[in-house]
Amino acid sequence: MSDQVVEDTLPADSIAADAALAASGDASAFERLYRTHSARIHSLVRRMLDADEADDLTQDVFVRAWQKLGTFRGESAFGTWLHRLAVNVVLARRKTLGVERGRFQTGDDPLGGVSGRRETPEMSMDFEQALAQLPDGARQVFVLHDVEGYRHEEIARMLGVVPGTSKSQLHHARMALRRYLNR
Amino acid sequence: MNDQWTDRLSEYVDGELAAGERSALETHLATCADCRATLGELRGVVARAKSLEDRAPKADLWSGVAERIGAGKVVAIRSRRFSFSMPQLIAASIALVLLSGGGAWLALKPQPTQVVVTPRPDPGFVPINVSTRRTDVAIADLQEVFERNKSKLDTSTVRVVQQAFTTIDRAIADARTALQADPSNAYLNLHLADTMRRKLELLRRVNAIATAQS
Repeated sequence: MSDQVVEDTLPADSIAADAALAASGDASAFERLYRTHSARIHSLVRRMLDADEADDLTQDVFVRAWQKLGTFRGESAFGTWLHRLAVNVVLARRKTLGVERGRFQTGDDPLGGVSGRRETPEMSMDFEQALAQLPDGARQVFVLHDVEGYRHEEIARMLGVVPGTSKSQLHHARMALRRYLNR
Repeated sequence: MNDQWTDRLSEYVDGELAAGERSALETHLATCADCRATLGELRGVVARAKSLEDRAPKADLWSGVAERIGAGKVVAIRSRRFSFSMPQLIAASIALVLLSGGGAWLALKPQPTQVVVTPRPDPGFVPINVSTRRTDVAIADLQEVFERNKSKLDTSTVRVVQQAFTTIDRAIADARTALQADPSNAYLNLHLADTMRRKLELLRRVNAIATAQS
């Protein structure tokens, strides 16, 4: 029986079981959790930080998760817990790096260096490239709100701003991306 | 194009405007083609964001994670696990539980001298203090799945599995009884967690096999 067969046939509660096993020190169970969640975590990290940081920080997220599994109480889904932990790791990393460049830029065309719309199978990749060109504040809020589904109040708490700032940054990001989509 | 309503269009898209503002904006939209066009584009951006697909990292990052959490040995063991047959797996589970139970008995056996030996976990293993409540819930969930699945297994396998569960359950009950007398005993806590982990692992594998056979 291959690992893939196991992953495909396991009941949904196997993630909870693996989380419990991992919390008791079972690295094999933790590897299964990694295999299940690594794409989502890597995508989150890549969208919120530079792509060349994504691999290292994804590893940081899973190492931190391993260290903090004892605090996972099973009150939310493991994926939700892990995702929130990943956001915290990303925000802490940004603080460490002092990533404040252009945080509140509202220039006319923050996507000026991005090529125009292409109707190709790679279109979603182009959208992600455009996303990476946004000023940092707008990019964070856009990813957390429109991609990840957090509410402005939650984002404001995470970023240490007021909800009104989160709303204005979101609008700024959307307007910039709208111009990109129109080219 | 930029009028007093342009900066409120995102809030409108998200349904965050108060009723009065929403009504006023809708009145404006009826007469402003630019704002209607911008609104459609903003909705397009939101839709695109929601449709983004996650992509796995190009490189396999697990080896780096495994190294940092000290899981190299465990990973090597895992790569061989699926070569075990079901009877081998069950026999191994029973043997491991019985061996662990023997260790518990030795730990609990009255000592003839006053020398106190504190059991120490493997220095490479960092115990994590977890409530068994979550494990109990996970076991109960998987046990339910097993009850539904067991008709897919042949009766002799089911009988052996249930005998294994009886043995493991007895070991869990013994460990809990011992812990009531000595709740801070590190060995007993580790033994209980390990025995419960073995039951979870056995349930998970039996359910996976049953599901694969259906």
